[in-house]
Amino acid sequence: MSEVLKVKEVKQQFYTRRGIYKALNGIELELRKGEVFGIAGESGSGKSTLGLTIMGLLPRNASVTSGSVLLDGKDVIAPLREYATKSNQKFNFRRNENVIKKMNRELSTIRGNKVAMVFQDPMTSLNPVLQVGYQVAETMLVHQPRTLAMRRLARANAKRSDLNEALKVLRATESDEKALEDFFRNKGLEGLTEQVISIWRRKDLADAKKEKMILSLHSEKLSWFDRFVLNAVKEKGNLPSWLSKTPILSRYTRRVLLKEGYLKALELLSTLEVPNADKVIRMYPHELSGGMRQRIVIAIALANNPELVIMDEPTSALDVTVQAQILELVRHLKVKFNTSFIFISHDLSVLSEVCDRIGIMYGGRIVEIAPTKEIFDNPMHPYTKFLIAAIPTLEEKEIQEIGGAVPDMRFPPSGCMFHPRCPYIMEICRERVPDMIQVSKDHYVACFLYSGDNK
Amino acid sequence: MIVAARRLTKYFQLKGTGIVGGGLSLKAVDDISIDIKEGSIVGVVGESGSGKSTLGRLLMALLQPTSGQVLFDIPDDVLAEYDKYIETNQADKCRKIEEEYSIFRSKGKAMKEMRKQMGMVFQDPYSSLDPRMRVEDIITEPMLATGYLDPEKARKRCLELLDEVGLPRDFAFRYPHELSGGQRQRVALARGISTLPKFLVLDEPTSALDVSVQAQILSLLKKIRSRYNISMLLITHNIAVIAYMADFVNVMYAGKVMESGVKRDVILNPTHPYTIALISAVPGRARMRQRIILQGDPPNLVFPPSGCRFHPRCPVAFELCGWTADEVATDLDYLVQGKYYTTFQGNTQVIPKDALSILIKGTNSIQLSEMIASEREKMRSLMSIANIKDTEEGVLISLSHFVTPKMYNLDNGKKVSCLLYSPEVMATQKGAISGN
Repeated sequence: MSEVLKVKEVKQQFYTRRGIYKALNGIELELRKGEVFGIAGESGSGKSTLGLTIMGLLPRNASVTSGSVLLDGKDVIAPLREYATKSNQKFNFRRNENVIKKMNRELSTIRGNKVAMVFQDPMTSLNPVLQVGYQVAETMLVHQPRTLAMRRLARANAKRSDLNEALKVLRATESDEKALEDFFRNKGLEGLTEQVISIWRRKDLADAKKEKMILSLHSEKLSWFDRFVLNAVKEKGNLPSWLSKTPILSRYTRRVLLKEGYLKALELLSTLEVPNADKVIRMYPHELSGGMRQRIVIAIALANNPELVIMDEPTSALDVTVQAQILELVRHLKVKFNTSFIFISHDLSVLSEVCDRIGIMYGGRIVEIAPTKEIFDNPMHPYTKFLIAAIPTLEEKEIQEIGGAVPDMRFPPSGCMFHPRCPYIMEICRERVPDMIQVSKDHYVACFLYSGDNK
Repeated sequence: MIVAARRLTKYFQLKGTGIVGGGLSLKAVDDISIDIKEGSIVGVVGESGSGKSTLGRLLMALLQPTSGQVLFDIPDDVLAEYDKYIETNQADKCRKIEEEYSIFRSKGKAMKEMRKQMGMVFQDPYSSLDPRMRVEDIITEPMLATGYLDPEKARKRCLELLDEVGLPRDFAFRYPHELSGGQRQRVALARGISTLPKFLVLDEPTSALDVSVQAQILSLLKKIRSRYNISMLLITHNIAVIAYMADFVNVMYAGKVMESGVKRDVILNPTHPYTIALISAVPGRARMRQRIILQGDPPNLVFPPSGCRFHPRCPVAFELCGWTADEVATDLDYLVQGKYYTTFQGNTQVIPKDALSILIKGTNSIQLSEMIASEREKMRSLMSIANIKDTEEGVLISLSHFVTPKMYNLDNGKKVSCLLYSPEVMATQKGAISGN
């Protein structure tokens, strides 16, 4: 399987007034295509920082001292690392900030397009003064105006006969989406593919209604000026400068594209099983419940078909019954969108439901990686065992408490980070950092208990 | 009984609803009765907005109820008498008992005395400790304010309490910002038990903490309970915490108690459809197969659903549960416009006529009853359709009347607020079984 993301030996630290906070201490991670990777750990173990580092979303006091994050063939954090390793002088906040600003400009083509992020609190991650449909449309407008233009143009150019044939293709090939894609490409109507498919996939409609909806996607009226503008966008790939720089024209173009974006938002929301999606896209965030808002945030993340979606505690602010709905949704999305997910949560039982593999983080390091089943059936690292034992469950069992607390990462313990709390502590644990050892296929653990003679 | 709440109701008046819409209220807690025995931990579990925190505050007399009473430290025989008076509607005799035991009646000195007996630990340890007070001041404050101890002794006791909750003694001179979340919650707990109360309300004591710290706090709570024999009301949204801690469980939904009973009975053998769904929604690999995913969100409590408040989301709702014409019409419209589009060709109109009847234009009763018959099991609102007949205007659908559920006693001492377990329905079911 090909890798979507490769994180190599990342060390990252924050400069604070009270010392250097070593948040990440050598993270190794590979993410395969179409996989859901879970990251678990206590707060302060660096799991959110890892998510933010992959996105390159770092504050000005952050410095990356080594390692690389390869995303889409590009090293995301290279400028930061170069600055940190090159400068022999003291760390300078202002210079580092300049580096980050420059990096942000470069990364803005990737963020929201190739990688997207879903944050914990859906109440604060949406803009309260914009309609939710607009917020979904905006991500498309910024990153893929071409797709929007093509969708609109295809609807104007298509004839009824084309759609009839498309339906025939769908029926003949038993809903083969590849065949449909080829069919539309030959006709020069690429923009129609996803529109037809999203209607075809809906389960709440009768076939007759679906067919009627699909057949209505043709010869939509388009004024010559709109067509001219959209064609320009389509050819250039994004907004040509004569369009985006001219005051009234730029606004006009944006409006034409946003209108199409609203339709795309409607499609996305009905894929995410939002009831009354046509009304919801015109609502403001405060009118929606927590679960619904989280669906909108997920829709925004998925709008551009990203290769990787990082979900940072997406269900922690939700109730259990709503959490169950969202988890069910993520399980379906994995299949539908063929996107890779990184799912960050402090709750191992949540991860157990959606993830293919789970990594346990402690003190800025991944201490164990294994497939989900393996983590629960055969946890190896003492910390993993503790984490599992500390969760109260419905089945009556004594919960085990871990003594002590997460270490202060300004003064991290020597050797293995977990040794001050570990019941199996050995001499070597204080002195050396354990390497990742492969114990079985796909199961890695960083603990001296399993290395060398002790194995 | 250390605490007994009877028919407790709290409506919050909404402001700024205009002249016409004035008088709206949010029905946060509606007709709840709860008993807390000496030395027991009673759990209250529910989703956010179910009124569980309001209930906790009412039991602490931090809020005045709209109606109902909370009786504190009442002998069992007096309580039984009181219950009898309520049933027979003898208001003057009730008042006599209330005057002695009600927590809302006492004022001034008596209230202070009462406060000594009660303690509370709040959810967020970051906002429930005064940042300008040292830990010592925080812990001694309730002892001084209620006149439990004089300052000298209170300071001594503070140090003992710090030992008790597992904090080093020198923490007494620190400020809250120097402590971690778990340490703060320990301080809050020390403050809660400083006057050796008989009754402690824990409002989501661990939901802001990490799992490992949560485990520490929970076992500390167990230790304190066994040492001082304090009765506790544990409010949480995490049913696993209840399963670990509580002796009795109350499941709340939309301001009502849905099911209550001994923990083992409720959690291992849930009866109410909501409890079943709630327990199946707890994440974990073991429960994934028999998961029931509830559709929709909890209701708006300004306009709570009629009948049983859970019926719009209930997977086994039936005709008596409280369906209104609006709800049924929405579902019918959804079917007619979506799944059954082929049959109806999209030219039907669904109009709710009054509370219990719907008019459907542009179709006939045969097509409709066919659709309803095949969708009844999945779309529970259609269960309430009692009669379909053709009229000149269109098809007239009338719904059956609904019943509001009460708390029904089950054989094993459990109480359930679900019509499926009402004596009438149970009787008809039994009749049906013996008839076959």
